[in-house]
Amino acid sequence: MKQKLRVAIFDFADCEGCELEIADLEEEILDLLEIVDIVSFREVMKEHSDNYDIAIVEGSIMRPMDEKRLRNIRSKAKILVALGACATIGGVNKIRNQWMHDEVIRAVYGDAPIQGNELFDVFKTKAINEIVPVDYYIHGCPIDRDEFKHVITALALGKKPEIPRYPVCVECKKNENICQFELGAYCLGPITRAGCKAICPTHNSPCEGCRGLIKKSETECVWEVLERYNLSYEDIRRRCTMYNYGKEECSVDE
Amino acid sequence: MVETKKIKVLSLNNFNKFITNLIKNDRYEVIGVKAKGKRFAFGLLENLEELRLDHDVTILPPKKYFLPQYETLMEYNLEKQFDVKAKEEIKPRIIIGIHPYDVIALEQMDKVYLDSQKDDFYKKRRENTILIASDIQTVSDRSFASSMNTNITDKGFDLLLTNIGNKYTVTIGTQKGKEILEKFAKVEDAKEPDIKKIDITRKKTLNKYKKKVKLPKEDWPSILVDNYDSGIWEERSDKCIECSSCTMVCPTCYCYDVKDEVSLNLKSGIRIRTWDGCMLRDFTKVGSGEVFREDKKERYRHRFFRKGNYLPARYGFVACVGCGRCGIACLPDIADPSEVMSSLAHHRKSDDTTRFFVKQETKVAETNPIHVPRKATIKRIEKLTDIEKLFEIELDDKKPLGHKPGQFVEVSIFGIGEAPFGLASPPSDSPAFEIAVRNVGNVTSKLHKMSVGDKIGIRGPLGNGFDIKAMERKHLLLTSGGIGMYPMRSLIKYVLDKKNRNNFKEVIILYGAKRPKEIIFLNEIQDWKKCEDTTCQLTVDRCEQGECWSESVGLITTLFPKIRVDKLDSKNTIAVVVGPPIMYKFVIKCLQTLGIPDENIYVSLERRMKCGVGKCGHCQINGVYVCKEGPVFNYKQIRNLPEAFE
Repeated sequence: MKQKLRVAIFDFADCEGCELEIADLEEEILDLLEIVDIVSFREVMKEHSDNYDIAIVEGSIMRPMDEKRLRNIRSKAKILVALGACATIGGVNKIRNQWMHDEVIRAVYGDAPIQGNELFDVFKTKAINEIVPVDYYIHGCPIDRDEFKHVITALALGKKPEIPRYPVCVECKKNENICQFELGAYCLGPITRAGCKAICPTHNSPCEGCRGLIKKSETECVWEVLERYNLSYEDIRRRCTMYNYGKEECSVDE
Repeated sequence: MVETKKIKVLSLNNFNKFITNLIKNDRYEVIGVKAKGKRFAFGLLENLEELRLDHDVTILPPKKYFLPQYETLMEYNLEKQFDVKAKEEIKPRIIIGIHPYDVIALEQMDKVYLDSQKDDFYKKRRENTILIASDIQTVSDRSFASSMNTNITDKGFDLLLTNIGNKYTVTIGTQKGKEILEKFAKVEDAKEPDIKKIDITRKKTLNKYKKKVKLPKEDWPSILVDNYDSGIWEERSDKCIECSSCTMVCPTCYCYDVKDEVSLNLKSGIRIRTWDGCMLRDFTKVGSGEVFREDKKERYRHRFFRKGNYLPARYGFVACVGCGRCGIACLPDIADPSEVMSSLAHHRKSDDTTRFFVKQETKVAETNPIHVPRKATIKRIEKLTDIEKLFEIELDDKKPLGHKPGQFVEVSIFGIGEAPFGLASPPSDSPAFEIAVRNVGNVTSKLHKMSVGDKIGIRGPLGNGFDIKAMERKHLLLTSGGIGMYPMRSLIKYVLDKKNRNNFKEVIILYGAKRPKEIIFLNEIQDWKKCEDTTCQLTVDRCEQGECWSESVGLITTLFPKIRVDKLDSKNTIAVVVGPPIMYKFVIKCLQTLGIPDENIYVSLERRMKCGVGKCGHCQINGVYVCKEGPVFNYKQIRNLPEAFE
């Protein structure tokens, strides 16, 4: 077998839940190690190497020091993969972008002496493609393990991963769910990228848009739907804030 | 009139026993309609109480048991070079509670899936399933089945249950149904009053339909034809959110996509098929990135034309059964055919109902199973340009491929996928054939990395090739642009072959590429030029300083004025055009200027030919399957297809 790809996994501002999804592959981790060498994965191992082909980056970018570190990772990696909503679209970390920066700092840290400490030197939350070019995306909050496997195996086979560009409704319908709108809920499924197997509506919870929007929420056709179901633009805006604040349309270009 | 002896009666008690006995049987998996929240869905029956024959409509049609949402077509071992087997785990099933409109939808699906290229998975499932239909008791608010004459049926089922109040009647449709009934139920012959009650019950239900279509279904094809450019498609599709829910829930939408998924250790993999929808933009996208139905208006229109015109032209039935599922599923409520067709009711009917269809079947040898490729070996690889290679491939069974110029094959690389390639070599008695490959997508880039001796899978030859018979004793004007030279080479080499050369008159070859370095088969072209009564003109769009080029510069159309019109016997000339989509309309205009009649022009078109056997729907140009009726077409036959040369 040819040389295995060397993979490094990094995290920024996030809950590390997507990394946990990888760690949670359990015995399948051994299969993963058969096809790639993991050379850095802080959540589960002590070893680290700066010599890697693929960097998988989790988390949002909030500070100049993060930005510098990300640029450094990009310069070393042949392929950069964004892992999870915080990295792909900014995700929940972007909720705070709706308030003034000073307000947020004060609300969180009060009078604590953080002035001049670079750890607390934060700017508005950014998805990683707002700083460096991203080659591939593994969407979701958390990611779907099967999609992670799909991307990794595709890269190992030298093929371009196929990430859906159609909405969650496609997968939701295949699962024969009753539409969330029919149940009186408001679901972002129609404007959110599929690939999650419609896991939320299948478990009777409306889609929150964690895989990024594929259609602008203010387009006429979305309005039409809102009107029919007696929902207001405020409803959709609020719902989008959770994962897609300030990003009415997902900028992910694949 | 139904034969009375075919109708039996079950008391409620015996009906309950019948269902319970079925559920307890150990041969069949028993599926029935069950409640799902406030809706209904087909699912595995565990007890009698779960069965709901009073349902209005299930969320998904029973299609899912014959063409599942996700289905493994084959499994392969990636540790060996070519080790694949079709997945065959098809359980015998009984499905209880299918409404007549869904029975009719399945009969329609049979026409598509059990035609000359039978889908063996579908076929086995159909053979292994017993359909116990049920007359409609509750009418869905959105159903317009009564307008489509699909609210009742007298065939297509094995048994049909009708609740006539205090008992059920069972209409026997097939011998299979009769045997099941005899084995699992205690029945009596129906008496005259029982049979009358069936009619009364059905009439009562008929009166419950709120939705009606103002346009009789017989008129759908003829009304749609003249409304191709109607404003209604844009007006309604403006509100479309492109979720394709309408196609996902439809009992007569059969399109699918095929994908390869591999295990994490890369040791094995499966090829799956999953439902796809023509309302999604990527549905028509080909390897080079071109999307053939870019505007959502076009996709929206396609869905209605497929149901109301294309399939009727091909099979004689309107492919909408009025179940109303799309109306329920569509969030902006624009998908309901009853509303679209009713709004067109006052329009003029056209006699030309088959305008968007070309009757032209491929004569293919039935291969079974149709999805599984044959093993083949790469014998020789030749670099053509920086991004193009020629592959000589040999089938491992050492049988000749048996193709005609213009036909194509589907090439499989397990773990990566499958893609169509036009054959570049002329017909031959040897088991070897050639394809040329430009590196643009996943399959092509993997092919480019492969070596001599590597194994690949081949399906084909597929499609219709060039009409060689029509070309005999004629002059030939062969125009190709870019990679259109691949299939054209097959034809040229056939025509210029000493064995065949006398069958054709003068041959003019016109060939254009973007840049001099993109001109391929240059050595062969030099040989072609030396052939008797053969001229060969080349052109490039652009030639920069330092590039070696002594021939014409300019688009392919610049070569036409060089043809001496006075010397061309245009009525006895057959023109063949193969090139990028943009090229056709310009070249065809040139050919017409030369006086070549439309019926003497042949074109080969590129679309997303995924299944290659006229099922998956991706390659459709209006009502025509490029993989089946094409890729080679007579221009006169398709000049009126709006989607052909857009």
